[in-house]
Amino acid sequence: MTETAKQKEAFFSGAARLAIPSLLLGVLAVFPLAGPGPNAIRLLFVSLMWVSCSVGWNILGGFAGQISFGFAVFYGLGSYAAAISLNAGIPRPLALLIAATVAAFASVLVGIPTLRLRGPYFAIATIGVSEAVRVVMTNLQFTGGASGYRITERGAFNQHLHYYVALILAAIAVGLSVLVRRSKFGLALLSIREDEDAAADLGVNPFLCKLEAHALGAALTGAAGGVYAGYSDFIHPPGVFGFDISVAILLMPTIGGIGTIWGPVIGAVVYGLIHEELIASFPEFHLLLYGLLLILIILFEPGGVEGLFEKLIRFARTRSGSGSHSEA
Amino acid sequence: MSTVDFLNLLVSAFLLAGVYAVMSVGMTVIYGVMKIVNLAHAGFLMLGAYFVYELFERFHLDPLIGVVLTYPAFYFFGIAIHWLIVRRIPRSDVPTTTSLLLLFGLWLVLQNLGYIIWGNADRSILTSRTFSTIQLGPLIFPTVRLVVFGAAVVSLLALEILLHRTWFGRSVRALMQNSESGQLVGVNVEKTARTAFGLGVAFAGAAGGLLAMMYSFTPDFGGAFLLRAFVIIVLGGLESFGGVAIGALILSLVETFSILVIPSGYQPAISFSLLALGLVILPGGVAGLWNRRQRLT
Amino acid sequence: MAPILKLDRLCKNFAGLAALKDVSFEIEPGGITGLIGPNGAGKTTLLSVVAGSIPASSGAILFQGRDITHLRAHGAVHAGIARTHQVPKPFRTLSVLENVEVGLRFGSRQRARNEETESLKILEWVGIAHLYLMRASALSAGDLKRLELARVLAARPSLLLCDEVCSGLTEFETSAILHLLADIRRAGTTILYVEHNLRAIMAVCDRVIVMNYGQKLTEGTPEAVQNDPAVIEAYIGKPSVA
Repeated sequence: MTETAKQKEAFFSGAARLAIPSLLLGVLAVFPLAGPGPNAIRLLFVSLMWVSCSVGWNILGGFAGQISFGFAVFYGLGSYAAAISLNAGIPRPLALLIAATVAAFASVLVGIPTLRLRGPYFAIATIGVSEAVRVVMTNLQFTGGASGYRITERGAFNQHLHYYVALILAAIAVGLSVLVRRSKFGLALLSIREDEDAAADLGVNPFLCKLEAHALGAALTGAAGGVYAGYSDFIHPPGVFGFDISVAILLMPTIGGIGTIWGPVIGAVVYGLIHEELIASFPEFHLLLYGLLLILIILFEPGGVEGLFEKLIRFARTRSGSGSHSEA
Repeated sequence: MSTVDFLNLLVSAFLLAGVYAVMSVGMTVIYGVMKIVNLAHAGFLMLGAYFVYELFERFHLDPLIGVVLTYPAFYFFGIAIHWLIVRRIPRSDVPTTTSLLLLFGLWLVLQNLGYIIWGNADRSILTSRTFSTIQLGPLIFPTVRLVVFGAAVVSLLALEILLHRTWFGRSVRALMQNSESGQLVGVNVEKTARTAFGLGVAFAGAAGGLLAMMYSFTPDFGGAFLLRAFVIIVLGGLESFGGVAIGALILSLVETFSILVIPSGYQPAISFSLLALGLVILPGGVAGLWNRRQRLT
Repeated sequence: MAPILKLDRLCKNFAGLAALKDVSFEIEPGGITGLIGPNGAGKTTLLSVVAGSIPASSGAILFQGRDITHLRAHGAVHAGIARTHQVPKPFRTLSVLENVEVGLRFGSRQRARNEETESLKILEWVGIAHLYLMRASALSAGDLKRLELARVLAARPSLLLCDEVCSGLTEFETSAILHLLADIRRAGTTILYVEHNLRAIMAVCDRVIVMNYGQKLTEGTPEAVQNDPAVIEAYIGKPSVA
């Protein structure tokens, strides 16, 4: 680990690093029972769903450095897969698993031709894929085509249930992210991000690793799409396959802190909350703001919000005079 | 299908290819010199369209004149953007995700500024040309398409002259072939990059204006053309202008004739399918095309 | 003894330009073989093709008797060939230790028992163990070259392809790196060493292969090659006739 990572670990001792997320999880778990209104729960629900997408995207985009503009494909396919499964009477957990699997499978189909491309070419190819899938789904009659697909809900609408499903998925996503980051696989992804050719020259199989990261991210995103399908009673191509979904999934981790564990989470929560509030009245301002933020972050603080946070910690440490030196 | 119909379609495809070429040339210049994939290209296309539209609506300026004015206006706009944002991107010989995300951010800003200023209603530029047609023998074409094609050809010829008769053109061609050697023989990289960016934006804006003469548009109309520009560059070869012409022709031919075989709903997926096809069957493998040519020692 | 590496009429073309033309030679295991030639001779291209980074256009590469012509980079590493780069390519945001760990964990099929210890040992050997926590981007030029070597040694190759490890270094650093190469040879690794610095080559190599214009010009002992008129002409050009 680099000098800063060790410092950060020292700042948050082992116990604290487990305690803080656990505390957060606890608070979130108890939240609906404390009696907030359904709107507050909906806001958090949406944010938690974005967390799963954001964290998933980050595995490919942040760890492996492959920027995909096409994650809406997996979100949409997951939504439709879950919707169809739910309508067929399949129990929810299994429906979500199906959604994740369908998305992962699609990611392999997409990845095989596109992941051979480097950087921006991969990015643009993913834009193309995203659009093609949206067009196909808009024309596909058996899933309702452009008119969308209706989910027949069994029983009364239980908002708490959906909230907890989203929470569990988000927790799984973050947990997976941590596991990957610390594993041998994670090291491979990082090396690919830094220098794909050098990684291959040391025995890493870049194509295979990228495919795996892609599949993992797609599965999480697909499951999130499935969660969304369960919540709404109606989905249609512009809503789940739209380019704006891909953009959102990309913006969240990039602004929150690309390549970190909690950056995508922060980005997702902030984006989700603001988006839901502004979507009715000023959607363009929302994206305009994010565009500006993205420019500023890329130019001045590529580490995003998380990077700023890290700088603050370093600043605090040197201030506290513990004798630590600043990095060369 | 009769010969006349076939010829009509063929010529339509050619006319379209002209505009597509102008549209892609902007991206090619910027990529060739700076190795930056300009995602904001879509935003400049859009702004070009609205620029010509506003000149038409407010000052009753013929859109063709509007397009001509776009060149200098957007050239300086491009220089300003370069100064403000693009020059801060660290120089690289291979395209980077930094530049990609930065220009994507710029696209978001431009597109949403477009929405805020103009809203999302469809706009179009309707002149007497829009509905009239010209007849050449048995073939009939909308006048506007011929006019636009003419403007496109003139623009491309001007670019050719620029590339082969000026210091700038020489520098661009040198940098496109090998940026290090270019620097060694005294090419002013900073100045060339700035001019290239300005030129790229100018062509994007002009292309937007030309497209606006033919199609109705909203602030997000750049997106579909961005993808097309990329397909063209892939098909034709990222770093040659002749390649752009070939790529533009292939795309327009496929798009025009595909109407005969594919349900119209699937039309937009054409660009992507060509993209995938091009990437998969390119000779020497895809990786060979995208990586810099290996230096020989 | 069977050669560890045998090239049989290896060719590589780039868009009509022949970078390598019918290159054939053999390398015996356990020595340091130098590869020299003027700029543009094809030396780095040769290394890249043997290492699997670039595919060959035609010809064969046999490693320990096995045909590896079509192996890509990561496959070649697992077979036992690894290369350094002319300009070091560190994983910039990772620490020195993590850089070496990549080589250690992915370079060979055997699992190391304790990755951190093993990596530190290698870093110790090349002399930068004290920098193990430092971000790779913060290293000096000389240390980057050492990191390059450390990473590739961690992959435990049988054949090490070195690409100008001494370029850009001071006299002092150069002789340190050369000592390291001798150590590596002593430890049993065969080395194919591309270098511009002729003194370095003469000091450390058992045999030297000379290339020019993509072809093998000649090969022999360092002394023989140094005095070969064809080699001198290749580097300096034909002497003008008085």
